[in-house]
Amino acid sequence: MRQVCEANVYMYRGAQEELVMEKVDRIIPGEDQTIFLESIFGERKVLRARIKEMELVHHRVVLEEIREQPEGERHEEIWLQPDTDHGHFHEGEEVKLLLFKGYNMQPSPEQDLVQIKAIVAHDGKEHEVPVEESESGYQIRLNHEADGLLQVYALESGEMDAYATVLVEVGHHHHHGLKPLGLPLEIFPSDYSHARMGQSYEIQVLKEGKPLAGAEVRVTYASTRQKDYPHRLVTDQEGRASIFLTARGNYLFSVSDGNLNSTFTLVKSF
Amino acid sequence: MCKDLPPLERAIQFHGHICPGLLIGVRAAEFAQQHLGLGVDEDEQLIAIVENDNCSVDAIQAILSCTFGKGNLVFRDYGKNVWTLGSRQSGKAVRIAQKFNSLQGMEYKRFGELATRVLNEEEAAEKEMLIGVLFEKVMSIPVEDLFTWQDVELDFPPRARIVTTLQCTSCGEGVMETRSTKTERGILCPACMQKEGDAPGV
Repeated sequence: MRQVCEANVYMYRGAQEELVMEKVDRIIPGEDQTIFLESIFGERKVLRARIKEMELVHHRVVLEEIREQPEGERHEEIWLQPDTDHGHFHEGEEVKLLLFKGYNMQPSPEQDLVQIKAIVAHDGKEHEVPVEESESGYQIRLNHEADGLLQVYALESGEMDAYATVLVEVGHHHHHGLKPLGLPLEIFPSDYSHARMGQSYEIQVLKEGKPLAGAEVRVTYASTRQKDYPHRLVTDQEGRASIFLTARGNYLFSVSDGNLNSTFTLVKSF
Repeated sequence: MCKDLPPLERAIQFHGHICPGLLIGVRAAEFAQQHLGLGVDEDEQLIAIVENDNCSVDAIQAILSCTFGKGNLVFRDYGKNVWTLGSRQSGKAVRIAQKFNSLQGMEYKRFGELATRVLNEEEAAEKEMLIGVLFEKVMSIPVEDLFTWQDVELDFPPRARIVTTLQCTSCGEGVMETRSTKTERGILCPACMQKEGDAPGV
C-alpha cells in the first residue's frame, strides 16, 4: 500500500483559510522569514510566512503571513523626499521637497494634510518653511539659499502626530556635525554617509531623545510591488536596527509608538 | 559622487536590472581587482576571458571595462562560470571559477522559474522578495565559499587592430579587409558571401 505523505498548504486569513498549494512534499524555511514550498507536481513558491499549524494526519499545513498588516490596522504616515532623481542638489539649484501622505511609500489618493508645518535645521538653528499645496500634492521650497547638509522635518498634528524627516544634501561632502532633532519620536541614521546598495544601513530610534528598544521599524523602498512593508526590523537595547540595502532608489523607515508615528527617508542616488 | 559610481551600481546601470548572475559577476570582478591590484581598464591594459555569456559578464564589462567593443573581452563558449582576468602591465592573471553548488537553494530554483516568463502581480512581488534575499546572500557569502581561484600564466592576446575598410561589391557596405573575401565578382562581405553561396574565391 502506498503511503501518502504530502500535504495541502493553506494560508490563514482570519476566519478563512486559502489554499496555497496542493500536495506539497517539501517545506523548507529560508532566510528573511521565507518558506519554500514544492509540490509533487514540481510547483514551487516562496512566501514570507510562518507555520501556524501542522495536522499531519489530515495532510494539512497552515501558514500565517508575516508581513501583511490588516488594512484596518494601518494608519497613514507622512514622508518627505527631495524632488530630484540625483539624490542631492547642487549649489545654486532650487531645492524642493515633496511631502506625501500614505502607506508603504504609496501615496493615498486623497492628500488631505491638516495642521502641517515644516522645519529646516542647519548648524544648530531651526526655522519654519511654508508647505505649499500644488496640483501634484504638497511641496516645500528651500529655494537657492540652501547649502550644506540640512535636516528637514514635517509634522502633521492630529489624533496621531506624524513626523517625517529627511536629510537634504546641497553640494557635496557635508557629512559632519549631524545630531538628532530631538523629536518626540525620531529615526536617526547612525552614521551618515552615502548609502549604497549592497551595504548595511543602520538607524537608531529615539523617543524624546532616548534610544527606544524593542520598537518595530517598518522599511520599504520606492520601487516595491509589495502591498505592505517588505521589511520589519526590531531595535536592540540601544534603539538600533540595520538593513541590507538591496533595492534602487530611496528607502523609507517608519516607526509608531502610541499616538506618534515617525518616518525617515533615506535618499539614495541610485 | 556625481561622476564616480560605485562598481555595483555601474554594473546594475549597465545591465539594466538586478539579478543573482550579475551579482556573481560583481563579486568576481571585485575579487580580481583586489587580488591583482587592478583598477579600471582604459586602453586594453586589462583582459578578461569569460567562459560564459550570462549576466555575470556584464558586471565584468561594467566594472573592469573589459568590453566587447574594445576587444579585451574574449568569449569562450564553454558554459562555465569561469573568468580569467589579467593585466598586461603586471603580466599577472587569475582564473576564477564559481564553486559548484556554492549558491544552491530553493530561492535560486524559484527565481530561475520566475525569471523566464511573464509574471502576474503576485509573482512579480514574489520575485522582488527573492531578489532581496538572493542579493544579500550573493553579496555576503565569503569569497572562498563562492569561488576557487588560481594565478595563471596568460598568453595575452594581441591588442585590437585597426584594419582597412573595403566596399562590398554586392551590398555596397563597408567591411573589414580581414573579414572580406576576394571573388571573381569582386570583394564580398561575409553576409553576401553566404547569400552568394559558393562564389569562387580568387
